[in-house]
Amino acid sequence: MNKLPLIFVGIFLTFTSAWIGLVAYPTLNLGEMQPLPDEETGGVLPPTTSGLAVAGQKVYASSGCVYCHSQQVRWSPLSTDIAKGLGPRQTVARDYLREKVAFLGTMRTGPDLSNIGARQPDTNWHHQHLFEPRTVTDWSIMPSYRYLYKTQKIEGQPSSDAVQGLRGPHAPKLGYEVVPSEEAKALVAYLLSLKKNYKLPESPEPSEP
Amino acid sequence: MNSPSLLSSLNPSTEPDALDSIERAEIDASTRIPVLLFFASAIFWLLVGSSLGLVSAWKMTNPALLDSFSWLTFGRLRPAHLNAVIYGWATPAAIGVGLWLTARLCRIPLLHSKLLISAAIIWNLGILLGICGILIGDGRSIEWLEFPAYSTPILFIAYAFIGIWTIIMFRFRKPGHIYVSQWYLFAAFLWFPWLYATANILLVWQPVQGPAQGAINWWYAHNVLGLWFTPIGLAAAYYFIPKVIGRPIHSYYLSILGFWSLALFYSWNGMHHLIGGPFPAWMVSASVVASMMMFIPVITTAINHHMTMRGHFESLQWSPTLRFIVFGAVSYTVVSLQGSSMAIPALNTITHFTDYTIGHAHLGLYAFFTMILFGSMYYIVPRLVGWEWPSATLIRWHFWLSAVGILLMVGALTLGGLLQGLALYDVASTFRSSLEFANPFRVLRGISGFILLAGQLVFAFLFVQMLLKLGAPKKGPALFTKPAEQTNDTVAI
Amino acid sequence: MTAGAILLILGFFFLGGSALFAIYWAAKTGQFSNVSEGAATIFDEDEPVGTPTDRFPAKKSQ
Repeated sequence: MNKLPLIFVGIFLTFTSAWIGLVAYPTLNLGEMQPLPDEETGGVLPPTTSGLAVAGQKVYASSGCVYCHSQQVRWSPLSTDIAKGLGPRQTVARDYLREKVAFLGTMRTGPDLSNIGARQPDTNWHHQHLFEPRTVTDWSIMPSYRYLYKTQKIEGQPSSDAVQGLRGPHAPKLGYEVVPSEEAKALVAYLLSLKKNYKLPESPEPSEP
Repeated sequence: MNSPSLLSSLNPSTEPDALDSIERAEIDASTRIPVLLFFASAIFWLLVGSSLGLVSAWKMTNPALLDSFSWLTFGRLRPAHLNAVIYGWATPAAIGVGLWLTARLCRIPLLHSKLLISAAIIWNLGILLGICGILIGDGRSIEWLEFPAYSTPILFIAYAFIGIWTIIMFRFRKPGHIYVSQWYLFAAFLWFPWLYATANILLVWQPVQGPAQGAINWWYAHNVLGLWFTPIGLAAAYYFIPKVIGRPIHSYYLSILGFWSLALFYSWNGMHHLIGGPFPAWMVSASVVASMMMFIPVITTAINHHMTMRGHFESLQWSPTLRFIVFGAVSYTVVSLQGSSMAIPALNTITHFTDYTIGHAHLGLYAFFTMILFGSMYYIVPRLVGWEWPSATLIRWHFWLSAVGILLMVGALTLGGLLQGLALYDVASTFRSSLEFANPFRVLRGISGFILLAGQLVFAFLFVQMLLKLGAPKKGPALFTKPAEQTNDTVAI
Repeated sequence: MTAGAILLILGFFFLGGSALFAIYWAAKTGQFSNVSEGAATIFDEDEPVGTPTDRFPAKKSQ
């Protein structure tokens, strides 16, 4: 065993290499990543998000959306994510600079949400969908988030933020309306902010989808 | 027995001494209270965790089920299920098995049992707080680390007691060879706090920027399986298989090789959960390569266990411990080979975001690890309470319900996941079809959940009977029953 | 340099150092030699090789 010192060094490097590669490197490198200046608008990339959207991220976390919805577009051609319309390009590390928690997700029990704000820009649609998913998509298996909404009697003028066009067993009766809580409003603001349709130099859009 | 003085442990004698049965019984008895405390709380959380899982499973086929309560929404039940079974069931049960094996293999009665009893109580308080935290909406939605920031320090303190205890036991052990199970146990007991502390500091207390989190998250989540549950499961298999059949492990050399190669390759694996994700390609590639290298420890372990069992397979008929542990060991081989294959990018792109992964997780945590824990408990508990299991029939029920339940679950999720994945991959296919393909298999999965829960209830019933010493009295503790007296037992499967 | 970076570097030396020490110690104390004897350490005079130590509980009739 006269090569013992050599074996030691080899094992030393392998044993700790994973920690360097998967913990230290991302912490020091990806953790210090900065937004890029956006030459077209004078802003930054990825664009800054509103305070309400940041609050909405907390609702996203506490409701556990991540267990069914991913937020990542994988590379082409190995995956068909781009061809299936999840986004115009692969998502890269810089896309997640605005996120306190990067909800990359590991399941697509529901559709990917990387670009849901671009696919469904309508606030009322999101409220309808969260209140009772099967009224907008009858085959959906998403749970209802009715507990984020309040059904109340209309007194005088209807509330300006009342959800429009609700159907189904939980729809408000005549003279009643459904209004979103602050949490529901924040969650929808967060969903609408999910748009990765800006251009980043490190992730060019593929020429053929 | 007094603790050895510091001086004597600096200069331990070199004469290994054999154990006689009285000494072994003393060692076993010294572990009674802490080990039973860990086991009892673990079984409680297993029932809670499985019920939570069962409700979330049925919510996937009946989305309107219990949907008016925020604390019963799928997005909270699922992480509550995961954390209850990982930190409430598997971890304390593993600690219990680990404590017992450590005392036996160090060949000294358990020292400082108050440290362990406090650890068990504090740990369970932390779990209770964490599970309630997730259900009221304080969950963090970081997979495997959902517990709110106010419960993780409690868990860490409890764990620190156990880590310190391990080092003390290892230091004061009787001199002699260190059996391979001790390598696995000692390493696991030290790896876990390192994993848990790193992940909690970087993701919960002082979160790093978004992009880095995924890598650390999966480095942690995968290593909890690979460097915490797997070593303890293998430590149990390497002890109980030879011990039960009375034959040394086929190749001790291979077992040592398996230990070191596991340590080297496993820790790189985590990134295969993020293939195609927003990370530098080299990180993912390294994980794919390391996942392939896992063939080495897995194959060595599989060969070793098979060769040890060869010619003794009839033992599966008379030993409950062996039946559960061999089921677990075979599942370990299957789940590891499946895991390596899932890292191959071409297959991964189909299975990545589907129920296939959930099937894989249950194959690992239930068919491998939980079955090994059950088997170990069948061996350990009679030696702690000095009482024999009251009913062979119920043990058989427990085994067959667990085995059939988990095979149905894994089979259903694997097939359903593949169909779901193909629909998600196919450009011409709609999202709706991915749900329709998966749905019948999700119903089967829900049924398998009932079967598994029924098996667990049988086990819990047996365990309570053991604690209360119910059932027919035996002539003496199982430990002292001579093999000659046992040969007349009715053999049935 | 951030606190995180210092922590990481300290962690590296601690982890790497303990792994190195563990292997060195194992080799030094002969854990990698006499492997055939090592496998037998879980057996002793009272529960020797060849003795099964677990079975289903007996039926009441016995």
